[in-house]
Amino acid sequence: MKKPPILIVDDEPDIREVLSITLTDAGYTVYTAESGASALEVFREINPPIVLTDIKMPGMDGIELLERIKDENPDAEVIMITGHGDMDVAIKSLQQDATDFITKPINDHAMEAALKKARERIEVREKMRRYTENLESMILEKSRELSSSPGQQLSAGNDRAALSETAVFDELPCFIAILNRQFYFTTANRWFKENFNGELETKRCYQICKQIDEPCKQCPAAATFGDGQPHEAKSDFTTVQGHQYPVLVWTSPLRNAEGIIHRVLIMATPFDRLTDLQDHLSSLGLMVGSVSHGLKGLLTGLDGGMYMLDSGLEKDDTSQAREGLQVVKSMTERIRNMVLDLLFYAKKRELKKQPVNVADFAEDVAEVVAAKLNWQHIKFDRDFQKASGEISVDPAMLRSALVNILENAMDACMTDKEKSPKITFRVETQNDQTLFEIKDNGIGMDEETLKNIFTLFFSSKGKQGTGLGLFIANKVVTEHNGEIRVDSKKGKGSTFTIKIPR
Amino acid sequence: MAKKILIIDDDPYTVKYLETLFQDNGYDTCSAADGVEGYDVLRAEQPDLITLDLEMPQEWGTRFYRKLSKDPEYKNLPIIVISGMPSSHLAIKKIVAHLSKPFDPKELLGIVRNTIG
Repeated sequence: MKKPPILIVDDEPDIREVLSITLTDAGYTVYTAESGASALEVFREINPPIVLTDIKMPGMDGIELLERIKDENPDAEVIMITGHGDMDVAIKSLQQDATDFITKPINDHAMEAALKKARERIEVREKMRRYTENLESMILEKSRELSSSPGQQLSAGNDRAALSETAVFDELPCFIAILNRQFYFTTANRWFKENFNGELETKRCYQICKQIDEPCKQCPAAATFGDGQPHEAKSDFTTVQGHQYPVLVWTSPLRNAEGIIHRVLIMATPFDRLTDLQDHLSSLGLMVGSVSHGLKGLLTGLDGGMYMLDSGLEKDDTSQAREGLQVVKSMTERIRNMVLDLLFYAKKRELKKQPVNVADFAEDVAEVVAAKLNWQHIKFDRDFQKASGEISVDPAMLRSALVNILENAMDACMTDKEKSPKITFRVETQNDQTLFEIKDNGIGMDEETLKNIFTLFFSSKGKQGTGLGLFIANKVVTEHNGEIRVDSKKGKGSTFTIKIPR
Repeated sequence: MAKKILIIDDDPYTVKYLETLFQDNGYDTCSAADGVEGYDVLRAEQPDLITLDLEMPQEWGTRFYRKLSKDPEYKNLPIIVISGMPSSHLAIKKIVAHLSKPFDPKELLGIVRNTIG
């Protein structure tokens, strides 16, 4: 993607200079301003799509600059630079639609991430603009086809004609309506009617689309009536049910036989879907990246096991060969778990329940992680004394879930190795359920993390985590009609409790 | 006397693999689970070459590398990076080789032989 111009605003000359050099090197065209007021002047002249501004500046501060810029061009991407401890201000700026914020001292990666986000937002908007433009030409083409077909005398001045046009409009997956100069809709497509039911004749557009009684301040339809040009705007539509859709509205003039603009065609595309999809895709990309990374490690382990098996047989060293075989088994098991996780995420997988011996099952699960915990000097206590009898579970899925939690505990311990790390895995057969408890004395979690841990793609481990493990663990336990609970204190450790009914 | 190789990797299976591979081919080995432990083992065992994993939980291998390259006693010690990261991501310049996991054992042995005999 071609890199857009950037305006850098900071009252400190050193910072302006360093940022200019870095960003120019990165291929951006850079403009600078030393105050909010001069930034606004540059902004009006150049209209740069991205602005990078310090928050604390004498005179007009960054927040005010943000507001003024957004007033002039809501599409401008404004990235805020904050000092340490300015979190409240940073959050306030995000509420006012800043693209992102980065903290001082400025870390190149954080800046690049913020700029990437800005560029992606610009690109998505551009795609949507092209999409709606294509849509318009498609509609015009279809209308022409209709009007040229025999027996259907159509002209834009004819309301019966407009009704026929809705046959085409109805099939299009966006809101389409035609507005007259009194701001009443003369026609609307099916999608529109389904979301904003009716009373087209008695209510004006803003009453229908926004549930408000005053005309909108910046109305693209009014602008099109005024200058005969297409216009676009970002807006929020509120349906009668109270759902809010962020939409991109696109208007274009319709002329009657005399060439006078008497109607405006309005198209609106909800864009939360687009951005949602994009978020989902980038999360998926991240996940695939980290899964393939994990797979590389497991394949190396598999190679290792096979080598040890081979070389052990060659040297007549049975114990090494046996160890090699054990590694092969363990790696195969882990790869299997990983694939199962992915399949479980990718499509609904039916549980394959079978009766298993609780104590044996617990040992199997422990074996998967024991070697790694030992190598990392993490004490691993297995308490299976009260594990007895059988339960009916899908052993592969439940094992995968428990291993995910154990590996999480391991990561929590490794981040803070100072305090003799320890994980306890307790399994107990109770009256009508089996209890699995995994307790670590690692870094623990804060409330925010706790709230999100079972969410898909949430990870507190940055690139190390897929954000898949606990999501799947939760899903597996739920599908067994069981429950999963977590207690955690930052700095003290976490305890996961899983109960599977008989 | 056999040359000695220090293996630094957080994954016990990879360590076991490398130990067996090197020992089968006439080298002595020692190992560590992360860079911090790696430095202690380095001092105690005085190896002739190091294989270094990069993504390790407590601190990254790059940190160990930086520390080593500033240490006059060890800065010329040959390092082979064996990691799952593509080499283009690295700020590590002065290493003997970078092998991606899963690596080819013959290639690794060839590099080791060329470096320390």
